[in-house]
Order: sequence, then structure tokens, then C-alpha cells
Amino acid sequence: MKYKDYYAILGVDRGASADDIKKAYRKLARKYHPDVSKEPDAEEKFKEMAEAYETLKDPEKRAAYDQLGRYTPGQEFQPPPDWGQHFAGAGTFEDIDLADLFAGLTGRRQGARGAAFTAGRDYEAAVRLTFDQAFHGTEIELELSVLEFDDKGNARRVPQRIKVRIPKGVTDGEQLRIPGKGGKGVEGGRDGDLYLDIMVEPHPLYRVSGRDIYIDLPLAPWEAVLGTSVHLPTPAGAVSLKVPAGTRAGQQLRLAGRGLSRSNAPAGNLYAIVEIVVPSVVDERERALFRQLAEASTFNPRAQFEREAAHEH
Amino acid sequence: MNIETFEAMRIDERGAIEWTQLIEISGMPEAELRELVDDGALVPVDIGSSSWSFDAHALPIARAAGRLRRELDLDAHALAVVLRFVARIEELEAELRALRAGVAQPLRR
Repeated sequence: MKYKDYYAILGVDRGASADDIKKAYRKLARKYHPDVSKEPDAEEKFKEMAEAYETLKDPEKRAAYDQLGRYTPGQEFQPPPDWGQHFAGAGTFEDIDLADLFAGLTGRRQGARGAAFTAGRDYEAAVRLTFDQAFHGTEIELELSVLEFDDKGNARRVPQRIKVRIPKGVTDGEQLRIPGKGGKGVEGGRDGDLYLDIMVEPHPLYRVSGRDIYIDLPLAPWEAVLGTSVHLPTPAGAVSLKVPAGTRAGQQLRLAGRGLSRSNAPAGNLYAIVEIVVPSVVDERERALFRQLAEASTFNPRAQFEREAAHEH
Repeated sequence: MNIETFEAMRIDERGAIEWTQLIEISGMPEAELRELVDDGALVPVDIGSSSWSFDAHALPIARAAGRLRRELDLDAHALAVVLRFVARIEELEAELRALRAGVAQPLRR
């Protein structure tokens, strides 16, 4: 396993008091906690700091860590021959990292203090889906590295590949749960759960809010005035949408039940948001027709301004 | 190679969560989790009952509470305040998403 200098990670010297270690961790946590930090690699740095603090804040774990010896960070090492006898019981320390070694120590110690069992750890994995996968549901493959303990309490990492069915209608930021696929429980403790943090890639056409889907619907001015029928893409397939005469910009045309669907709730709606767009280039004939319309029309789009101005005087 | 397939469940598909399960999920001491109930960060389905149970929405709150307590070394009172801020941020993010989704976005083209 690779050595990590927990003291250097927290920026304290080896003789630091428990209070100094706490202060150093709190200062760094304020700077790097992923919920608040804008620093690059904040999440990775915070994970490393939390791991270091988890060990150094506990006097027994800190003593065990100190007894490992000192190495260059990143250097491959094995605990001294009698280390396991003192701290972790007989056993080997292969295929695990330093954090696993101390997680094993916690499990062993809890057992020794009379707790009947220790629950397995919950795991989290990030899953990135396309909009279509999230809308329709999908099946993904995950590679896990599961921490297991043998009868003697020795930890080891076991690679595992599983397939996971993602239900339809999941949204960005949602968390899904796979019961029992976290770390193995010790001495009859329940197995942990696996949590999937869902990230949905943005779609060029659709936006999601709750279970509803929104799409912009560009209309030419004459389509909005006269009404029309348009071919509208939706995630479940294109539909023909009737646009009534006199449709205004910003108006939302609702297609009931065409939003995200879930097994335990009614499907959301799809809203087409009307946007009136004008041609950037018009030919001579079009220009003449627009002039003709301008002369013939009595429509005043700024009547509100005039009413307000009249009130003020 | 035959790979086993598992169903991923939505958090809200989980039924009622018992108090003992919630303690286990949070990884927190019972007394501290009880303070979060007293503070209103976790709301039992029937607060008058002698054995509390919670709906599925308590699950992510209890997990977040345990994580924040561990990572930020917070006491129960500070934890309750942070959870309230986190809930408020989530509400505002949902509102922002709804506002952004419901307004045509010509600049994206």
C-alpha cells in the first residue's frame, strides 16, 4: 500500500496536540469543503484531509498510525511485522489502502467493545446519463471496489462488476439507492447501500423543472397572428401541435403527460414556450408586404406606455 | 461472464423508516439525532407516537447530517442550522431551475 503523510496533509507537525490538529482541520475544511469551495480539486483535497483527520483525531488510531513508521508520501510500504499484532490482529495487508487499514481497525475495535455487529459502509458513485437515458430509463454497468473483512477482521478490496437498471424519469441531482450493495457488514451487521448520484447532461432542446419539460417554440409573426400547426419534437416522439391564432410571445402551450414519467406518480407535462422570431434578411417583395401591413394595421404594441403617460399628467 | 443486475430505487420509493434505522443510516449518536428532531430538521410522521417513524425524505437528511457532522466536526446545534441552510439552498435551486426552464432562452442559439 502507498504511504500518506497525514500530518503533512493537515499541515501540522508530528508532535501537534489534539487541539492543534482539530484547529488545522477546521481551517482547511472551511477552505476546501466541496459544498463551499471554488478551489480546483477541492473535492479530492477535502477527501484526503478528512481521511487524515479521521485517523489523527482518534488517539488509538493516531498511535497506530505513528507506529507504521515514516516514509515518503506515495512510497509503497508494509506495516512493521509486529504492527498487526498490536493494532489489527494477525493478517495480511494486501490490496487495500491506508484508509481501509484504519477502517478495519474501527470494525475490530467496535467488535472488541462488545457491539454485536457493525453495519457495512454506504458507498456513493457518480453516474452520468444523457437526457434520453434519463427520460426513458436505461441499464448501466458499474465497476466497484468493495471493502470486505474476513473472520479475523482483515480488510481487503474485492473488484465487482454489476449492472444497474435506472428507472425512467430520473432528474439531475437525484440520488438512487441500491440496497445491500455497499460495504459488507461485519459479524452479522447489515450490508451497506450503494447510492448513485445522478448527473444528466443538458439537452440542446429540452429543459427540466421537477417532472415538467420545457421547449422553446419559435414562430414567425404571421404564424402567431394567423395560427398554424407545427411539428414539435418531444422526448417520446414528434407530435403535431396546433397553435391558436393570436398566440403571444412567452405563452406556454401545454402537452399534458408528455413530461417525465415515474412509476409512483403522474407524468409531468411538456410546455412549448412561444417565441416570436423575425427574419434577419427580407427580400424586396417581403419588405413591400411588411410596409403594406404597417400602413393598414391599427395595432399599437405600446398602448400601455401611452395609458401610463396619460395617468401621470 | 454473467453480471448480476440490480434495480436502482428512488429514495421516495422506500417506505417508512424506523427511528433505529435512521440512527444507523446517519451514523450519529441517538441523542444528537434526537436534537435534530427537536429542532425540526427531521420530522417524524407522528411526533406524538412513542416509536417514531419517518417518511423517505428523512433518509437524505439523516445521511447529510451524519456526513456534515463528521466532515465539519459540528455540534448538534450548528448541524441543525447548517441543515436549514442546505434545505433553503435546495429550495432556491429548484426555484431557479423552474424560472430558467420556463423562460425562452434565445441566447443559447
